[in-house]
Amino acid sequence: MCNLAQKPLNVNDEPIQNHQTESLNQLLTDIGAKQSAEAFAAIYSHFGGRVKSFLIGKGINEDTAEELMQEVMISVWRRACTYDRKKAAASTWIFTIARNRRIDYLRGTPRIELELEDELMQLESDDDPHEQQVDLWQDTERVQSAMALLPKEQYKALHLSFFKGQSHGAIAARLDLPIGTVKSRIRLAMRSIRNALQQHEETT
Amino acid sequence: MNISHHLSDETLQDYTAGALDGSMEVVIACHLTYCNSCRARASTFDATAAAMLEETPCVTVNTTADALLDRAKNSDESTHPAPQVTGVPRPLARLLPATLEALEWKRLAPGIKQYNLTDKHRKFGAFKLLHLAPGVVLSQHTHQDKELTLVLRGSYQDEIGRFKAGDVADLGEDVIHQPVVDTQEPCIALIATQSPVRFSGVMGRLMQPFVGI
Repeated sequence: MCNLAQKPLNVNDEPIQNHQTESLNQLLTDIGAKQSAEAFAAIYSHFGGRVKSFLIGKGINEDTAEELMQEVMISVWRRACTYDRKKAAASTWIFTIARNRRIDYLRGTPRIELELEDELMQLESDDDPHEQQVDLWQDTERVQSAMALLPKEQYKALHLSFFKGQSHGAIAARLDLPIGTVKSRIRLAMRSIRNALQQHEETT
Repeated sequence: MNISHHLSDETLQDYTAGALDGSMEVVIACHLTYCNSCRARASTFDATAAAMLEETPCVTVNTTADALLDRAKNSDESTHPAPQVTGVPRPLARLLPATLEALEWKRLAPGIKQYNLTDKHRKFGAFKLLHLAPGVVLSQHTHQDKELTLVLRGSYQDEIGRFKAGDVADLGEDVIHQPVVDTQEPCIALIATQSPVRFSGVMGRLMQPFVGI
């Protein structure tokens, strides 16, 4: 639970159960569909402190991270109507907003993004088996349990990439390793995560 | 769209991490528009990054949810209208003043025209559209660093294979290649490199300042 400057809020008078992926997805959906302030308070209490923690570092001090985190959470409120739980977990959707805000801040110009409304976008149909597979991949909890089993050096390489925003080359320089070693650590880590998810898929 | 050539895992990972130049990101976002399979792979990287976010310890925040909602209601929402230019993926369309057909192409050599794309983020290398006439053969060359080429119209062939509209060539520094436009249709490609292209041969060196495919 994050340390918040307000009392924890419940939704529909029921406690939030352990912030399971599904309940977070439901809360984000409720913000979009009903402009639910209670759902926003719950999403904020779960993600606000984590997003701020992600933003600190890479030349961003705590005050700036606080301001950027607030902007990210305002974007979450405004864009929640575009969130589709079939496409991504709430954490994935919020991560991409936070990641892009950090890039925009560090560069001083907005990142040019893939646009989901693009008329040229090649879309999958709902019964496409490939898309169902993607759905499973996006389950944050399954990725987390696969990640917990990674060797330390593989985890560290992934963390420097996703969390510190460093390229393969920058990670190699920082760890004083050949770039080939960094590539293989990240490749092995991603293979373990994909394998774990595929095994899960086969047993369900 | 039937895509045969995809982005590497390394490129998708660096894209997710936000570790690439803005120009490379535009090429990647355009390919992702066309390619279901790379989009699915990119979503695995996003989900992995999100799992790390879930594991991150919370730090103290200094405002309440109510205060944030007040702020949201009292400030203007920035709008993001569709780009004017059509016929290319939106990330590229946002950088163009006109359609591919109506652009002011600059002639470089017989059969070769280019349109330079301005990019504030770019520090090194090329970021441009190339317009190659049927039958054009580029000088054999290699690259000092990473290069991404996305075919938008027509096709070309080189030592790696045949690249049609939507295909991306995700080349590392060790590749030597010689692209040939292999149909009666001009080939238009979007290119971003992280450092200047090195041509082999005298003619190649003369071409070096202009071409980056």
